[in-house]
Amino acid sequence: MKVMLEAGNVKKVYGQKGHIYTALKDINLEIKEGEFVGIMGPSGSGKTTLLNILSTIDQATSGSIRIDGNDIGKMKEEQLTSFRREKLGFIFQDYNLLDTLTIEENIVLPLALSKVKAKEIDRRVKEIAGKFGIEDILSKFPYQVSGGQKQRAAASRAIIANPSLIFADEPTGALDSKSATALLQSLSQLNVKDHATIMMVTHDAFAASFCSRVLFIKDGVIFTELVKGETSRQEYFQKILDVLSALGGGKGDLI
Amino acid sequence: MTLFSIARKNIKRNFYNYFLYFASMIFSIVIFFTFVSLQYNDQIVKATTMKVDGAFKAASVALIIFVSIFIWYSNAFFTRKRKKEVGLYSLLGVKKKQIGLMLFYENFVMGILALVIGVILGALLSKFFVMLLMKLVGAAAVDVHFMISGKAIIETVIVFAIVILITSFEGYRLIYRFKLIELFQAEKKGESTPKASIFAAIFAVILIGFGYWLALDMSLGIWSNFLFTVFLILAAVVIGTYLFFRSLSVYLLKLSKKNKRYYYNGINIIGTSQLLYRIRGNARVLTVIAILSAVTLCAFGTSYSLYYTNKKSVETQYPFSFAYISQGPALDHKVNEILDQAKDHKVTNTVSVPALKFEADLPDMDNPPSQYFMDLRRVTLMPQSEFNKLAGELGIDDKIHLKGNHAIALDNEYNANYSPKYKGEHAIIHSKPNKATLEFIGFKEFNLLNREVGGLTVVVNDQLFNQLSKANPVANIKEINVTNAADAGQLSNKLADILPEKAKFSDFYKAYKGAMSASGIMIFMGAFLGLVFVLATGSIIYFKQLTEATADKDRYDILRKIGVSNKEIKGSIAKQILFIFALPLILGILHSAFALASLSKLLGQNIVIPVLISMGVYTLIYIIYYFLTVNSYDKIVKAKKRI
Ligand SMILES: Nc1ncnc2c1ncn2[C@@H]1O[C@H](COP(=O)(O)OP(=O)(O)OP(=O)(O)O)[C@@H](O)[C@H]1O
Ligand SMILES: [Mg+2]
Repeated sequence: MKVMLEAGNVKKVYGQKGHIYTALKDINLEIKEGEFVGIMGPSGSGKTTLLNILSTIDQATSGSIRIDGNDIGKMKEEQLTSFRREKLGFIFQDYNLLDTLTIEENIVLPLALSKVKAKEIDRRVKEIAGKFGIEDILSKFPYQVSGGQKQRAAASRAIIANPSLIFADEPTGALDSKSATALLQSLSQLNVKDHATIMMVTHDAFAASFCSRVLFIKDGVIFTELVKGETSRQEYFQKILDVLSALGGGKGDLI
Repeated sequence: MTLFSIARKNIKRNFYNYFLYFASMIFSIVIFFTFVSLQYNDQIVKATTMKVDGAFKAASVALIIFVSIFIWYSNAFFTRKRKKEVGLYSLLGVKKKQIGLMLFYENFVMGILALVIGVILGALLSKFFVMLLMKLVGAAAVDVHFMISGKAIIETVIVFAIVILITSFEGYRLIYRFKLIELFQAEKKGESTPKASIFAAIFAVILIGFGYWLALDMSLGIWSNFLFTVFLILAAVVIGTYLFFRSLSVYLLKLSKKNKRYYYNGINIIGTSQLLYRIRGNARVLTVIAILSAVTLCAFGTSYSLYYTNKKSVETQYPFSFAYISQGPALDHKVNEILDQAKDHKVTNTVSVPALKFEADLPDMDNPPSQYFMDLRRVTLMPQSEFNKLAGELGIDDKIHLKGNHAIALDNEYNANYSPKYKGEHAIIHSKPNKATLEFIGFKEFNLLNREVGGLTVVVNDQLFNQLSKANPVANIKEINVTNAADAGQLSNKLADILPEKAKFSDFYKAYKGAMSASGIMIFMGAFLGLVFVLATGSIIYFKQLTEATADKDRYDILRKIGVSNKEIKGSIAKQILFIFALPLILGILHSAFALASLSKLLGQNIVIPVLISMGVYTLIYIIYYFLTVNSYDKIVKAKKRI
């Protein structure tokens, strides 16, 4: 299988002289096409930071990142934006929906930006809204809907353009178990049927059990990883819980 | 924690917002104070005629309206910024009444402080300010001695005390008007979209039309209640404009939203939705900009038209910088020496024209031209060959060929209503040995001789001229053009000193300065108001842009994250801002066109050219504003750090 994403010696330091904080120390990882990778770790361990750097939204202090064979450190701003638009999909921890747009408009944004025909856009919106059960709120504005609904809208926006690599930061954080399962199932379907590569940050072992591999980070380094392989989801879930408790801090801190 | 200490901490934390609000209040007070001081200036009071008095009053009404709008706008900007903070107090259990009182005190104390500082600053600066403005306007001829008047202070204090009191009550009301949840969502929630009602649109057009009609009609003589009429026009046009923008902008935006092919095409979706998001605020801003543009254009247009018509009429009356009747070669030589010594002025043209001056009767004319009387009922004869030569030198494409006793009058003050028709009319000149009769076959609306030396100039055939010059003394008229004639005061004085009364020394400079100081106050006032309003339009756009760019920053960050390039973002911003700029400019130009048409009727003069130039210049300034706005908006939105 082809390597989709490759990170070598990635380091991230926040702040300027005096107030520096090293969020990522030395991260090396490789994600193959069609993988569904989870990232877990205690709060403040650098998960969002890592995701932002891998997804080209933020820049690493040092180290190299290649996506689909492209060295993103060498790309210009304009190249990066079109790369992001064509290849990547995002589900952010804080939704990042535009409050000037209705839910429907938010969802279609990537297609509109790529100048897909209006008819085709309409068709795709209907399909995706059906998948996530948000047909009723399409004409509402973000401030008029619940957090879970916003998250589903954000997920719809991330996958509507069929990206080859999807980044998700706590996509189930604000969802009840039913909608969380629905979202995870559709992500996993996307992964299985459409061979989309997915990278998901989560606190939740249940969500992580949908992944094919889980990376655990602590204090800015990859602590260990857990591959699902042939194990059942139930077993995998249990293994993840074991690693988490070994990681310290206890279960309570992690959920 | 006492309420007072909370308020003090607030001011510290929100210093930038407070500062902007405070500065705009002081700015308004200084402007208003300066204007009112001018109004009570002894010299100006003495010089003001009825007409100027009316214009002054209208201008101060406009200024009061402007100042109120401006302060109200800054206050709204300021209040909006603080809704969340107010919500937080409320959440922490501070009573509504207490918060309201706190906001009231805060605003009131700031207002009073601004008033004191503004008046002191105004008193100190307005003299300097006025001088600077005069320099800018080039109205050096308007000699205004500036002083501080008690009346001006009192009037400023009264007007602003009222404005401050009203805005302070607004702050107090803020807390009662909103529910807690709304205070928190203040920035997030869009404005509810008003319906695009055809009725409102028609009503808007009717109101604006009524205002226009009244403006045109007013010049026909309903002057009895000038202030009331002005107020009515302003009210009709302002309300009409607001309704117009509200219905039109909603209509346009909804239309573009309905058209999915357009709406779902690239970044259009962002621009359109942003505009709809703030639709009410936009309608207000569009109205304010349209009205301010109209007022600015009127002020500039009026003053420039006056300046232009004055300058034009002086220029036609004085085709040359200097002219005199030669009193022999010795004196001519002296004149030339003085001209050679003048450093700042170079002689560009010197001509010498033979002429015959005769007392004359104009029996056919009911209303002989004024130049005839000024020259003591004389006419000045000039041979056609000289006319043709001189016209050629001055670049006037006009040749005269006359027969026998035919003549052409050069009447540069020609007015279709009052002037004689010339054609077929006669002049009987008291020449020696016999009187002679000339028959006019036409006239020209310019003269080649300066007013004092030329009087009523009449061009005749060379043969006739030569024949008459045998028995009558030929005067030799010297005419000189120099560079910078409008500043040639010193040179002019030197020449006047050496030339005797008989030489009828005529200079452009004196006439020009005379004309300028007669209407200088009007010109100055127009330029003053124009500048103030240009600044005001600029600051309102600045406020709007500052608020919105800061609020929009997050949105553009999201867009960039999902793959919108900086170039596309700038394009979208440029389109949005174009919408905000273009609509009010068009309506503002239309408003001012009607107002200036009314002025044109009032003056009885054609002012199309100066009005077009004013509009052109304003549009240019406006376009520069546009690009600046797009750029700084873009910068704020792209900045890494939050402002
Ligand atoms: N812009 C920033 N400037 C300075 N420090 C930052 C910045 N963003 C994050 N940090 C710090 O870097 C560390 C890692 O943050 P990050 O957001 O990656 O954590 P996380 O693992 O996503 O946590 P959570 O599970 O709570 O979302 C934290 O200690 C955080 O305080
Ligand atoms: Mg995080």
